[in-house]
Amino acid sequence: MIPLIGLVVGIVLGLLLEPTLPTVLQPYLPIAIVAALDALFGAFRAYLEGTFTDRVFVVSFISNVLIAALIVWVGDQIGVGSQLSTGVVVVLGIRIFTNVAAIRRVLFHA
Amino acid sequence: MSTATPRTPGSPRPPRAVDASMDLLNAILREPVDPDYARLAAAAPVDGGARPGRSPGRWAAGVVLVLAGALFAVAALQTNRSAPVAATERTELVARIQDAEAQQDRLRLQVEDLDAQIEQLRSGALGDDSTSRALEAQIDRLGPAVGQTPVSGPGVVVVVDDAPTSADDARDQVLDLDLQVLANGLWASGAEAVAINGHRLSALTAIRGAGDAITVDYRSLTRPYRVEAVGDPRTLQARLAESAAGAWWNDLSQNRGMAYSTSDAEKLVLDSDPGITLRYARAVGR
Repeated sequence: MIPLIGLVVGIVLGLLLEPTLPTVLQPYLPIAIVAALDALFGAFRAYLEGTFTDRVFVVSFISNVLIAALIVWVGDQIGVGSQLSTGVVVVLGIRIFTNVAAIRRVLFHA
Repeated sequence: MSTATPRTPGSPRPPRAVDASMDLLNAILREPVDPDYARLAAAAPVDGGARPGRSPGRWAAGVVLVLAGALFAVAALQTNRSAPVAATERTELVARIQDAEAQQDRLRLQVEDLDAQIEQLRSGALGDDSTSRALEAQIDRLGPAVGQTPVSGPGVVVVVDDAPTSADDARDQVLDLDLQVLANGLWASGAEAVAINGHRLSALTAIRGAGDAITVDYRSLTRPYRVEAVGDPRTLQARLAESAAGAWWNDLSQNRGMAYSTSDAEKLVLDSDPGITLRYARAVGR
């Protein structure tokens, strides 16, 4: 319950405060969000399997977001930014789908 | 990350896995969850009592979740906010295109002015002897036919348009070919000068499709298409109806539902084709 409330509070805060991201960071926001989704679903699956730990969640979330943005940033510097972001989306997308499938199996036994 | 079994010394080299080259993808599929979750859970006491509910870690997780929510909200806001920017850019581009078209029109008017000046200078340069008069007569006769001089007189007006169902079926739209057939049919029926939506046709005029629009001399037309032809009003319409172009358009209007109407006009005024330039000249021996 608390995690859900946290998410909702974050969304409401973001909508109300409308913080503007520096233009330098704006291209990396979508990829950071995909990384954040991966960390969130991974955490939810771990929670369902009874292995959830706050510390691992915090560390994996922050490192996921930062590394995904960093990879794309480095790619942009060397001219393969769009290809690398495609790669990141594919890898994280596979993980998200696998995790969601596992969550679905645990929740609905189907 | 990989879960390869450790090689025991002395044992023969283990056979290479069939999917060894897919190791990266396999690792992604095999370990979608951070392996640290399982490692820490195994290390922690099983009863779970050692984990207090209000530990600093719990707070950090809450903060991270708030951060994640804010991240989603900001991204959604930004995507929505950039949409009007794109629309503004589009209107700017449209305005620039309209400016360029207006400038093109001004330049065309200038061309027509200069053409008139050239004509004056030419008649001034030609003397008053019989050869010059013969040349003038020839120019006067050929000018309207090639589209170099404006033409006025009676004729017919043909208005054609897409069928009402053209939004569903692209075959119900007027094509560049249809206008070509119509223009050629009008020439063949004895028209002296033809213009489509005010653009005078000459022997060098291109009627072509460009994307969704039909262009005449690379200027796009807007529907409906009004084809004006100066010619003998007594015969032009009848001959057009009997020609292959008439049959073509009857077929289009009956089977495809396209609009096709012809009417006589007392007086049509067709401008000259500004695209006509002098390409070849030779001195006439006097």
